[in-house]
Amino acid sequence: MPYLLVAPAVAFIVLIYGYPIVRVFIDSFLSPTAARGTSVGLANYGFVIDDPVFWKSAGNNVFLLFGVPIMTVVALIVAVILFDQIRGWRLYRTLVFTPYILAIPVIGVTFVYLYGYNGIVNEILRAIGLGGLAQDWLGDPHLVMPSILSVIIYRELGFGVMLFLARMASIREELYEAAMIDGADWWARLRYITVPQLRTVISFFVVIELITMLSWVFSYVYSMTGGGPAFASSVLELYIWKYAFAYRAIGIASAVAVLLLVATSVFIVVQLLIRGDETDTGEE
Amino acid sequence: MNRSLARLGGLVVASSLMLAACGAASSTTAPTTAPTTATAATTAPAAPTPAPSEAAKPVSLEFWYWAESDAPGADKWMAETVAEYKKIKPNVTVNVVPQSADTLISAFQTAAASKSGPDIASQWATGPVLSFVWSDSIAPISDLVPADEISHWLNTNENTYNGKVWAMPQYLLGIGLAYNKDLFAQAGVTPPTGDRWTWDEFMAASAKLKAAGITPFVGGDKNGYLGAWWFANVGGQELASVQELAKAVTGEVPFTDPKYAAWYTKLDEYVKAGYVNNDVMSLDLDQGVRLFSQGKGAMTFTSDGMLATAMKDLGEAKVGVMRPPKLGTGALADAGNATQSISHFVTSWSPNPQEAADFLQFMHTPDRLTAWYKATGVVAADDRFDSSLVTAPQLQSMAKAETTGPQVWLENWIPPQIDGDADLPAGQMIFSGSGTPADAAALWERTATTWRSAHPDELANWQQLAK
Repeated sequence: MPYLLVAPAVAFIVLIYGYPIVRVFIDSFLSPTAARGTSVGLANYGFVIDDPVFWKSAGNNVFLLFGVPIMTVVALIVAVILFDQIRGWRLYRTLVFTPYILAIPVIGVTFVYLYGYNGIVNEILRAIGLGGLAQDWLGDPHLVMPSILSVIIYRELGFGVMLFLARMASIREELYEAAMIDGADWWARLRYITVPQLRTVISFFVVIELITMLSWVFSYVYSMTGGGPAFASSVLELYIWKYAFAYRAIGIASAVAVLLLVATSVFIVVQLLIRGDETDTGEE
Repeated sequence: MNRSLARLGGLVVASSLMLAACGAASSTTAPTTAPTTATAATTAPAAPTPAPSEAAKPVSLEFWYWAESDAPGADKWMAETVAEYKKIKPNVTVNVVPQSADTLISAFQTAAASKSGPDIASQWATGPVLSFVWSDSIAPISDLVPADEISHWLNTNENTYNGKVWAMPQYLLGIGLAYNKDLFAQAGVTPPTGDRWTWDEFMAASAKLKAAGITPFVGGDKNGYLGAWWFANVGGQELASVQELAKAVTGEVPFTDPKYAAWYTKLDEYVKAGYVNNDVMSLDLDQGVRLFSQGKGAMTFTSDGMLATAMKDLGEAKVGVMRPPKLGTGALADAGNATQSISHFVTSWSPNPQEAADFLQFMHTPDRLTAWYKATGVVAADDRFDSSLVTAPQLQSMAKAETTGPQVWLENWIPPQIDGDADLPAGQMIFSGSGTPADAAALWERTATTWRSAHPDELANWQQLAK
């Protein structure tokens, strides 16, 4: 009887979550155009492994992963500063969080104007006599990925700050009082109380952002560069999108989607292990 | 241009609305066939006459329509057209579903996979249309519309395959090289006496302009379409026919052959000489063209609509237009570059193919052609189009170039994947200085190899096309 009662929910979950994954997995072994559903074994995987654009795209995703520690540290610093309730902290908190609630294409288009060769950033540099630093931030193949990463950090930072602030607000006040009685200074309190207490949310934030850098950056890239110039900012999502919708090669898109799913799953498993470990040790 | 302009969004846009007139018409053919010349409207096609039995039978047609991005005003014109058609065929209801450029191919692909969906649909000419012909998703329009009617349509060669015409054109778009007469005079540059410069003359004029402190050529290649336009205008000038291009697509000849790749060296020299605006990689194609309208550059590539906008912004007397420079010796060097861009067709699964074809035919009646031009400012792809509607000499010149002689928009003759992964990024390599002409050619060859591997089923069809 209990199984019967949960059956509709299980069927619903399998349909919504299970079917697309199974379908993508199956399609990855079918002929690239999939119209005839002919099995091609591992040919689609072989195709993408031989494609330099795939490796360029994957490399760019890996590059973005390096932004996660930067973002985490900056978010932590900003959260700590705001938690100390410096003058105007409410305004700063709003300003930091606002980019996170804006649509990514809006931010992308805005930064296209900011980062253009004759855009606002370069105009400011020229105005203050630093014209030599003016660059084609999105048009130079060597600068485009760091430029995109800076925009991702700009937007995602607010999420981290809010997450950390929420957790910091729930840290028991007695811990800080006891530390102060023991003579702990600001740095000691941060190092021995705040950061350890934030461990759970920091790990959560890091894993979420790692997943973001792997599989949630399409909107940034699409709205700012379209993957150019000459694939310099292509990422795996864009690669999948192009093969699925522009080039009508579902089999190849599915193969890359499976590879991306596997890579992302590694981080999901890490997250689950961390949470399991924390549950075992009584942390929340 | 189809794919280029599709993504330009409202480019042609503002432009077309201000056109006071423009026009001309003619049939255009592949360079392997004899060119024909424009003729003004003389005969009026009869609107489809309903048979008595048809009149009582209610028919509902669904039309997945796309044209607005190329020709702003198209959707409004289509709504009027549907209403007009209802007056003569009250039993026929046409439901128009405007399509987005980004999903135009994928949405119809989904319909084609299940062989269900619209009765009439739009796709960009040649590659996209033929790919759906090859998947048995399109009914040949030449089986549904009388030959004497089709003979009035222009550029039908873009969708002719196996002796049949598969889709109907609606309008024509071409590209010219616009120039600023004041800036030319300032630099002592004289426009060509004929309709175009040679490459050497183009280089010499650019050198003079640069020496006078004027940016010779402005454009934007952030989205890759400036490079695509250069390819479409000069990339095929050493080729004898589009079939020769198809041979490289299918692997019979490598894209690294100088016949296909040498023009990148010319473009590279042009860019390295500093003749292009320094923010070319920060701007999309339309944004780059806007610099011309702002008087910030002496020359740019322009569509009819863009030219009209520039004439409005700079003053009609200050803008001239010529054909893109000639740098090759192949037959395509002398061909025009007009394309129908989008094509409309009857789907193979429509239960009412004849009714659908009748409606398409109605779109080419003289009243509708005139209304089309008034709504969009874009020349109709029909030799019955009243060319007297075009009054500005520059636009007349464009229209003449678009409707006289053979026309080839080279971008139509490569698969979308090669366009997206070779044509566009190769141009970006050159404009950004991140790659050499040899790198650009190698990218074409590598992408073509990749495409052949990813689309073995389409390869056979392209091999057929190459013949």
